[in-house]
Amino acid sequence: MHDSVTRAIPASAPTSRKPRLHSAMALAALAVAVFFGPVWLTVIPAWLEFPVATVVGDAINWFAREASIGGLAVKDITRLFAEFIDRPIQGAVVLLADGLFSGRGLDVKQSVPPLSWLAIGGVAVITAWRLGGRSLAFTVTICVGFLVLFGLWQNAMVTLSNVLVSVFIAAALGLALGIWSFRSTQVENITRAIMNVMQTVPIFSYLVPTLLLFGYGPSAALVATVAYALPPMVHNTVLALKSVPAETIECGRMAGCTRRQLLWQVQLPTALSKIAVGLNQTIMMTLNMVIIASMIGAGGLGFDVLKALRKLDIGSGLEAGMGIVALAVVLDRVSQAAAKRAAHGKHLQPGQQPLWRLLAVWIVAATVIAWLLPLAQLWPKAYLISTAAFWNNLVSWINQEWFDVLDAFRTFALLQVMRPIRDFLAAAPWTLVIGALAVAAHWTGGLRLVIYTVSLALFIVLTGYWGPAMNSLYLILIAVTLAVLIGFPIGFWLASRPRLQTAANLVLDTLQTLPTLVYLLPAVMLFRIGDVSAIVAVTLYAVAPAVRYGMVGMSQVPHARLEAAEISGCSRWQTLIWLRLPAAWPTLLIGINQTIMMAFSMLIIAALVGTKDLGQEVLIALNRSQVGEGIIAGLCVACLALIADGLLKAAAANTAIQRHRKNSL
Amino acid sequence: MTSIPGTEAQHGRQREVIVQCRNLWKVFGATKHAFERADGAHLSVEDFTRKGWTAAVRNASFDVHRAEVFVIMGLSGSGKSTIVRCLSRLIEPTTGQVQVEGQDLLAASESELIKTRRSKMGMVFQHFALLPNRDVLGNVAFPLQVQGVDRTTREARAAEMISLVGLEGRENHFPDELSGGQQQRIGIARSLATDPSLWFLDEPFSALDPLIRADLQDELIRLQSQLHKTVVFITHDLDEAIKIADRIAIMDQGQIVQIGSPADLILNPANDYVARFTRNVHRSRVISVDTVLRETTPSDTTAGPAVRPTERIADVASLVVESEHPVAVLHPHADTVAGYIDREKFVRVLAGLDPQ
Amino acid sequence: MLFKKVSGIASMLLALTLGAPTNASAAVPESDKPIKIMIADWTSIGLQGEMMSLILQTYGYTTELVVADDSGRYPGFENGDLHLAMETWQTTQQNNLAKSVATGNVVDLGETGLAGVEDWWYPLYMKEKCPGLPAWEALRDCAEEFATADTAPKGRYVGGPVSWGDHDENLIAALDLPFEVIHPGTDAAMFAELKAAYERQAPIVLWVWKPHWVPSLYDGEYVQFPKYEDGCFDDPAWGPNKTATGDCGKPYGWIKKMGWAGGEDVWPCAYQMVRNYNMDNDTISALLVEVDLNGRSNTEVATEWLKANEDIWRPWAACAG
Repeated sequence: MHDSVTRAIPASAPTSRKPRLHSAMALAALAVAVFFGPVWLTVIPAWLEFPVATVVGDAINWFAREASIGGLAVKDITRLFAEFIDRPIQGAVVLLADGLFSGRGLDVKQSVPPLSWLAIGGVAVITAWRLGGRSLAFTVTICVGFLVLFGLWQNAMVTLSNVLVSVFIAAALGLALGIWSFRSTQVENITRAIMNVMQTVPIFSYLVPTLLLFGYGPSAALVATVAYALPPMVHNTVLALKSVPAETIECGRMAGCTRRQLLWQVQLPTALSKIAVGLNQTIMMTLNMVIIASMIGAGGLGFDVLKALRKLDIGSGLEAGMGIVALAVVLDRVSQAAAKRAAHGKHLQPGQQPLWRLLAVWIVAATVIAWLLPLAQLWPKAYLISTAAFWNNLVSWINQEWFDVLDAFRTFALLQVMRPIRDFLAAAPWTLVIGALAVAAHWTGGLRLVIYTVSLALFIVLTGYWGPAMNSLYLILIAVTLAVLIGFPIGFWLASRPRLQTAANLVLDTLQTLPTLVYLLPAVMLFRIGDVSAIVAVTLYAVAPAVRYGMVGMSQVPHARLEAAEISGCSRWQTLIWLRLPAAWPTLLIGINQTIMMAFSMLIIAALVGTKDLGQEVLIALNRSQVGEGIIAGLCVACLALIADGLLKAAAANTAIQRHRKNSL
Repeated sequence: MTSIPGTEAQHGRQREVIVQCRNLWKVFGATKHAFERADGAHLSVEDFTRKGWTAAVRNASFDVHRAEVFVIMGLSGSGKSTIVRCLSRLIEPTTGQVQVEGQDLLAASESELIKTRRSKMGMVFQHFALLPNRDVLGNVAFPLQVQGVDRTTREARAAEMISLVGLEGRENHFPDELSGGQQQRIGIARSLATDPSLWFLDEPFSALDPLIRADLQDELIRLQSQLHKTVVFITHDLDEAIKIADRIAIMDQGQIVQIGSPADLILNPANDYVARFTRNVHRSRVISVDTVLRETTPSDTTAGPAVRPTERIADVASLVVESEHPVAVLHPHADTVAGYIDREKFVRVLAGLDPQ
Repeated sequence: MLFKKVSGIASMLLALTLGAPTNASAAVPESDKPIKIMIADWTSIGLQGEMMSLILQTYGYTTELVVADDSGRYPGFENGDLHLAMETWQTTQQNNLAKSVATGNVVDLGETGLAGVEDWWYPLYMKEKCPGLPAWEALRDCAEEFATADTAPKGRYVGGPVSWGDHDENLIAALDLPFEVIHPGTDAAMFAELKAAYERQAPIVLWVWKPHWVPSLYDGEYVQFPKYEDGCFDDPAWGPNKTATGDCGKPYGWIKKMGWAGGEDVWPCAYQMVRNYNMDNDTISALLVEVDLNGRSNTEVATEWLKANEDIWRPWAACAG
């Protein structure tokens, strides 16, 4: 979901060997100083920590409660806005999920039913058929059938209403920001910086201010979702507009286009297929937010998941979670097919009806059918299917039969591997950790990267979150190592088996859209509350990009080179180690980067099983409504993520440059 | 060598000037102000490098006459594409003058510029620059749509253009369903949709296969014989230039090193660069009959065949070789004899040598 | 939204089964403005919120159920974003509520009649391994029965999320118990551990509160700590440890209703109904089993109860005529 998002990496040449030696020596000197020098070089002294959180909290509270612009309270303006965006959601809910009611309390009667599942499901299937042919229609039918038969339909429609409105707003806003950034470099720099931070700050940390400003309920959930899902849309819009061939723009200008005509008739249509990539990511990220949005009043499938899990009905939670996956698959595949079509253009076959007319006819027909046949309006409870018992029994069975093995594994991992790493990081002198980061930055990127890295690290020191940050670092380190060790080999293996890739992509999509809570609780049952469960959950989530990039990296090796290797008589292992891995290395580095970003975005969920890291700080702040602490701890997560991102991007660029040099010599 | 009155006119020297370009500079990395303050026109190449400037066009001056095919030729990086873009201000020239039909283009406001481009200019691009989301009809009608022409009118006009380039029946295809040659035909049709007087073609055939390239060159010649546009044609291919050009400007490192008819360039190259370029061109394909003209002698009879002075030697070779009588050369616009072909010179040219 | 919908359908069902629509007095509702009733992530507040919502709707009020966080609710109430909450537990929210009422923007709407219990809880089978239970002193001797590899030799106690407070740490220190507190980030994780341990009859002691479905489903009991009295939390001399505070169990006690003070002027009769609302542990516990264990919806269960007990709740709405 963070794919193809470039973050702020200061572009500067990697350092050559001699200065590298110098920076390493400087680090050694620092180590000596730490060893013999004053204590504050090892343990952060109180005078270095500032009460930033309180100040920020007070400022936000003031802004949300008392500030006013031109006599109008900010609060009232934001509430008005919330009211304004609540309307379309309510409209969609009435249309898709609820229908209309008359009367109140005990006298309520449904006066108009919502569109039936037959109508909506049919619309989805027909659209899929027209846009993507038989196989897409088949996939969509399976998804619709799943939602209906498993009794998830109505809540799925509530979720769909929220998702549609969120995606629409995020897409429109992202497009506008993207266009603005495209036109002005200054705007681009500012938005990119904000988007980078926004993508890495956990949503929980700005939830309280959002609630303060927009009130409790669906509109606050929507604002938070949009904030979260916006960056890929902006980023891809800019990229897409930049990728429009210069000649195409010249063609528009030669035709005498005004600036507006050029944008709407030349640049945007040509960029459409790439903008669609952004839209797609926005859709997926919106669906990632369904659970959190339901915590603050968006309802729908997310709330089903929460409710089921609260009862420890893991099977029902899984089913509701798969409902979210089904929605994601439908929205993702259909929107991709639509974008592909829009980008290349297609005419109707002779005798084919326009899609809208077909859909209109279908809706009318299905509504009549639903009126005559109640089963088509609301699938009867008696015919519902559930597999929940199976999953619950499965987890219980594993728990009873395999717990001892798992517990032995947990104890070993915890005591022999995790604790030592955690304690090492916790005890490491802060100056040395920052020094080591600086050296890494110096080696991979140069002076600008050093300044960037060190200032981000100092932010964590100054705000007083160094301890939790080291704890986060330890979780991330282990989870990412595991994800990479598991994900890359699977990706390598899949790369040479194109037939399996469609199925593999479906599994990866499922891993990324299935609410993590669904597998977090079984993890707790089997690995108890604590870091092991957290790491299991984070690893499962972060393994998807590792597999994806492993797959892409392996298939990138030029065919001619492979043939050359074969002629030279390389064995498969030799080919892998001498040819494939080196060729794939820059891609794999980006893959590691994405895996790390994913892991960071899961920290907050991992905190739900009881970690002691930044995620936990954010969670506590959320529960206690501490606005400032939430935001600052969230920013610290962002700092860590941005440091990792900067270093890895620089390393990837570095490898690419060195290779380029070698090739051109 | 004798000259025939009227052949000069054929090369357009006395015709109306449509594009007048004077002392044009395009220096990337320099503003107009910085360039003028540094007196850039008199700086050396080293000075440019030191300032981080790249001169794509250096002091270019030329005229393009009405209904003339003016080819700008050079290797990649010679600045030829930059020049053609300066003529429409797709690229803002650093300094100099460009007049199009008497209008000072560089002084034009944004809206005047849009008006000029809409009414007077059409352009064909190397990589076709078609809009992937529009079908053939929509692409060709695009320049008209931009001007706000109503749908019926613009589609009728577009259909007319499509049949002009021989693509009737493909109106509803999308660009990615067509071959490269067909796509460029759409590009040509589109550039002509507004009936511009000035037609820019920027390496229009470079991206095509040799056979299709030859087809489209013939197509262009056919269209030009019907439409009589003022053409500025960019190419890196000397054979192509010779095939279609009335006059050729050869560029090297941003400078125009020579302007002349194909024969001029080959017979009187201005410097080594041009000479090296033209060395391998077969004379007979460039040199016209008037170059090998001799005065009428009393022994000449009109019994033999007659040719026009502008015809190329290669084209009349078989006629001349097979004729038992001297071949007469007529006046350009009259059926009176201007002189006869000098057989000795003629054979020299056929042998790939210069006439003298 | 979800709630509006569910309640809508359920009350529709209710109306159908009751047969006759109820005529509300002309005086109420005083305002069409929706009354926002807070619900949160444990079942009973949702159930009681649903009950109150249905009652208010019956008298013509517009209601909305809004999800908020237990401790995070106060800014919402002080701002007027949230109007009513049916549960505020003395065990964890006593101080927060007092602070919030002191701002003048929040009113205490009286007790629900329920008594909240929150303390250390263990499954009955642990009595075999640690026969001294439920007396708290027994924990000292059989701490190792509760230990895991990473806490040994100390016992492992699964507490509540960190944001629920550090009472247990204080208790362990004050009573010198050889235990380590493990904090989950959410209560669901606590009960996942309980479920897993119970299935294997494995040792566990954890934070359980009631009314809740856990004590109904699993056999177990509370550790008997020195009973909370005034002074335990601030007077070191109180209790078994004469030099420390917090040497007692959590205060068992009231669960209160609270509201936004401004609402008193908007819907005075509705606020009166909320004040009158009264329940008891047994009733609610029985209903919680229906919801949590039998998988029925809040609305269904609440509607059924309201239908069967009109004689109880109609009098609460006396002000509506």
